[in-house]
Amino acid sequence: MTDLAKPASEAPPEPHGTDAPRKGSFWTDDATEPVRRNLGLVGVLLAIWVVGAITVPRIFLSGEGLWNNELIVLQQSAAIGVIAVGMTFVIIGGGIDLSVGALVALTSVWCTTQATQAFGPAGMVFTAILVGAIAGLVNGFLIAYGRVVAFIATLAMLVAARGLAQLISGKRTQRVNIENVGITDIAENRILGIPILVWMLLVVAAVGWVLLNRTTFGRRTFAVGGNPEAARLAGINLRRHTVALYVLSGICCGIGAVMVVAQATAGAPDHGDLYELDAIAAAIIGGTALAGGRGSIVGAILGVLVFKGITNLFIVNNLEQEYQLIVKGAIIVGAVLLQQFRIGSLPQLRKSAT
Amino acid sequence: MSNLSRRGILFGGTAVGAGVLLSACTSNDTGEDDKQAESQTKVGGNNAEPGKKVTIGFSAPAADHGWIAAITNNAKAQAGKYTDVTFNAVAAGKDVPEQRAALETLIQQKPDVIVLLPHDGAQMTATGRKAMEAGIPVINLDREFSEPLAYRTLIKGDNYGMGVAAGTLIGQKLKGNPNAVIAEIAGIDELPLTQDRSKGFKDALATFGLKVSNRVAAKFTVQSGQEVTTNLLQAAPKIDALWNHDDDQGVGVLAAIKQANRSEFYMVGGAGSLDAMEIIKRDDSPLKATVTYSPTMASSAISLARLVAQGKGLEDLVELQVPKLVVLQSETITKENVDKYMPLGFRS
Amino acid sequence: MTETLLRLTDVVKTFPGVKALDGVHLEVAAGEVHCLLGQNGAGKSTLIKVLAGVHRPDGGEVLWGGEPVSFSDPQAAMKAGIATIYQELDLVDGLSVADNIFLGHEPRTVGFVRRGQVRRRASEILASLGHPEIPVRREVAKLPAAAKQVVSMGRALSREARMIVMDEPSAVLAHDEVENLFRVIRGLTARGIAVVYISHRLEEIREIGDRVTVLKDGRTTAANLDAKTTPTNELVARMTGRTIEYVFPPRPDAVPERKPLLEVRGLKRAGEFTDVDLTVHSGEIVGITGLVGSGRSEVLETIFGARRAHAGTVTIEGRKLRAGSVPSAVRAGLGMAPEERKSQALVLGEPVFRNMTLATFGRFAKAGFTDAAGERRAADEMAERLELRPRDTRRVVRTLSGGNQQKVVVGRWLLGGTRLLLLDEPTRGVDVGARAELYRVIRDLADSGVGVLMVSSEVPEVLGLADRVVVMREGRIVRQAAAHELDEHTVLDLVMAGSLLEGSPVA
Repeated sequence: MTDLAKPASEAPPEPHGTDAPRKGSFWTDDATEPVRRNLGLVGVLLAIWVVGAITVPRIFLSGEGLWNNELIVLQQSAAIGVIAVGMTFVIIGGGIDLSVGALVALTSVWCTTQATQAFGPAGMVFTAILVGAIAGLVNGFLIAYGRVVAFIATLAMLVAARGLAQLISGKRTQRVNIENVGITDIAENRILGIPILVWMLLVVAAVGWVLLNRTTFGRRTFAVGGNPEAARLAGINLRRHTVALYVLSGICCGIGAVMVVAQATAGAPDHGDLYELDAIAAAIIGGTALAGGRGSIVGAILGVLVFKGITNLFIVNNLEQEYQLIVKGAIIVGAVLLQQFRIGSLPQLRKSAT
Repeated sequence: MSNLSRRGILFGGTAVGAGVLLSACTSNDTGEDDKQAESQTKVGGNNAEPGKKVTIGFSAPAADHGWIAAITNNAKAQAGKYTDVTFNAVAAGKDVPEQRAALETLIQQKPDVIVLLPHDGAQMTATGRKAMEAGIPVINLDREFSEPLAYRTLIKGDNYGMGVAAGTLIGQKLKGNPNAVIAEIAGIDELPLTQDRSKGFKDALATFGLKVSNRVAAKFTVQSGQEVTTNLLQAAPKIDALWNHDDDQGVGVLAAIKQANRSEFYMVGGAGSLDAMEIIKRDDSPLKATVTYSPTMASSAISLARLVAQGKGLEDLVELQVPKLVVLQSETITKENVDKYMPLGFRS
Repeated sequence: MTETLLRLTDVVKTFPGVKALDGVHLEVAAGEVHCLLGQNGAGKSTLIKVLAGVHRPDGGEVLWGGEPVSFSDPQAAMKAGIATIYQELDLVDGLSVADNIFLGHEPRTVGFVRRGQVRRRASEILASLGHPEIPVRREVAKLPAAAKQVVSMGRALSREARMIVMDEPSAVLAHDEVENLFRVIRGLTARGIAVVYISHRLEEIREIGDRVTVLKDGRTTAANLDAKTTPTNELVARMTGRTIEYVFPPRPDAVPERKPLLEVRGLKRAGEFTDVDLTVHSGEIVGITGLVGSGRSEVLETIFGARRAHAGTVTIEGRKLRAGSVPSAVRAGLGMAPEERKSQALVLGEPVFRNMTLATFGRFAKAGFTDAAGERRAADEMAERLELRPRDTRRVVRTLSGGNQQKVVVGRWLLGGTRLLLLDEPTRGVDVGARAELYRVIRDLADSGVGVLMVSSEVPEVLGLADRVVVMREGRIVRQAAAHELDEHTVLDLVMAGSLLEGSPVA
């Protein structure tokens, strides 16, 4: 019963009201943390290239081969990248959207019904975006005003939207009609040597970046996710902003669905299979905190590129996919572990060591 | 106030307009009749005469792509052709436990015979046997139980034979060219049926001294077909022949081929969808043939089930009862014979 | 039964910038109810945590059963026989009563919990506490507060505690439930268990207590007074009178007649407060004080729209505010620095300047595009004005001390041109040196014409800083007066019981 261990000594008291100055090194400062993480992801991409150069020099060591291969990786990243942008907003805002894959299916089907196709390519795009926005509105209202937990509300939407997609399509694949070649052209044509899909990704990512980092909408997103109560007490309309975030995610799903339809030349109720997990994984390894309040569009896009780059690397090496899944899992865990070590946890580590 | 209400009206109007547009957009009515029948059925001969009234219980996995949808539609339509058949389909849900539960319920209702396409043959074997022990004959459709006691009759497609048919077709095209690049786009790799198809393909190619150089696996979905094919085409700059296991995912495979602007190879499909047949007939893409794995087997299974329940045999056979095992031949459809098969094609 | 169970001698506990305990003596005998008395900030909470093994003292001696001890963690204290029942009971809501009682030391056989035994022994324990009616299988979440408290005590008994520390157990109870609590406590002491009882309510201390120890500013100012006979006067005197002198900025000499800025009339929230009438003039600091549960913070939050009023009106310069709408309050020129700074006011992972502009970044923005440079410039100026130390506005707020964090929150509202600032416990968690600065900032604000309505549970703070003082008890305003008309003793008495006004110690 006698524990005579010396009490842990606390740091000596600072002079009144003065905090120790911030240590301004690039490698330790909080402010440069997103840059460091993105550099890490770029490092992984470079590593993929190095492995590619060793194993498939035909592609990775020829200028043209590499260019074409990376354009293919970019094209395959396009739809999921657009969706990951929406997901990043939602997660930074303190939420989660599990319904994105199902919304891609629903909007892809809705915009390829015979009735919609009669309106031409523009009508199809408009319908996809509108359906996505409305589904997002439903998500947002349930969460903000119905006080349903985001996980549950969007899980319900995941199930219901797939069902609706099956109902509308009769569980069939809906081909894009020949007269709507404008849609399928999205996946085939290039502008200035760059595929349209890649342009779309670039534009959405750029708009997303500006919206997040340079507008009041973005500031509100960080505030709402970082500390909802503080945001509310600072006069920010929490509910309205939450609704807006899910609508944004829905719109991204609509755009993503158009891209998927263009690539597959069809809408189908099984489109967007597991996209929610891909989008969340990309956002997370890109440095977006699941708890909200922190995240990066560039990181999310890099996250998508890493995943698709690995898929590509395995297939051009003619390797089975099981290894690929293991590598991807390792990358997710690695990224999250890095995230945990970051949050100024050094004092904690020291404490638990004594 | 006028300001506010005007905004309200504007918004309301937009919302209503959007609603009208959206509800119009869910319609899939093309305004003309479908060129093709929704399903493939056939009734004829003396056995078609109405006999004892029978109830057929039916269970297949929830449709998530064209082939399975066709299975259910065919079974239902075939049953509808008989005046003496009551068709009782139970939803089998999305996995084995759900289907097992559905079957338990069905067995309680004591139908005269059950037609069952299991999610997984091995895992549903016990349930099949339970039905048999309850005195209900089970017609096991396509995915085989692990023991013969669990079914009265097994009717299935021939996955291995499908691979053989595709391999033979390609082998004949490329024999004498041992360096030919042959690619394979499989379906879901975990399924035994995919492994059987791949083995048949490999074995058949081997007899011609050929082998598969690039193999990728999609997920039977259009999107996965498009994605893996894009990467495959990147990995193999020149291909001589390509076999795609499944015409449903083939929509995506063909999209990727078109997007990559490739056409140097000979492509064979699988299953035999209407879509694929139309493309073969038009002859404007690398897809030149498909090997069948026809969902018409569901129609046949209903016919067999009815005969089993009524105690009748197959007319042209000598035996008085329906045989224990029926394996469909995987047939090869090319431009030459496509017209004959069109009526059997299913919509993906 | 008068052996001394626990003896603390000259215990010291220092946190960065604060000496929370600075020479505490305490002596608890087996079988007695020993009351701890002291104002907010006197060090009671820290003392409880030292007893519970949460904090280790930096100096002094703790004798438990005659042996010197230093508990490394709460488990060690529990093992030694000290149980602590916090105000926010640490029960697991989703588990049954029996499971809660034996949580962490379930009777078991090779890893399997012996559920029957758990229930049987839980029933026995509850019966011994005089509450056999509490169903042991019921989920704890479904129990009323009083029953939860009994379950907590049951847990202490299941661990064979020899001393139970209770932190304001009556705060969450209705009157008749308090009677019941006392019955249970008497049952405990009859078995020789010591109870350390913390309460602000003098009448309770008189009824249940045996001896009283009074704390002030982290020191024991009186030990082992008789709980029944010591005059209230003396108790209050021991709690008041600062040993640390805060420097309060001088009040302006002559207050010119100003127009009312905020007028609150008949404000009410059922179960929290009722009939609240308040007026704050521009340039005036009004301080509300009262105990936890007196409704003081709730009033502030309701004025700000963070809670929706059930009745009554809030007007700013004659314009009525929309009830329950923070944005409309902010637009009308109100700002609030809430009590829980970290969880209610700050986005901890973001830098200072973004926290400062949290309410105003929209005003800096042009066509929806934020003006980061402009925000930073404004924040830098504000950091200068508030003497944020260091001035670095790009630093992440999490790494700042309490005083600097509070300056960030105040700065946020100053940037917005706020005309009425609501401050809830503005100096909580702020160390002594930084307090004086905050006081000066608040006074400067008032001098510039801003109205300030602050809530503080520290009576000297309200008296020293505010122009007018509002005392609340049990959801009502019991006194409003100019600060110079009141003294600490009077206010403390109003806050605690109101007995002194009647002029006699409760015998």
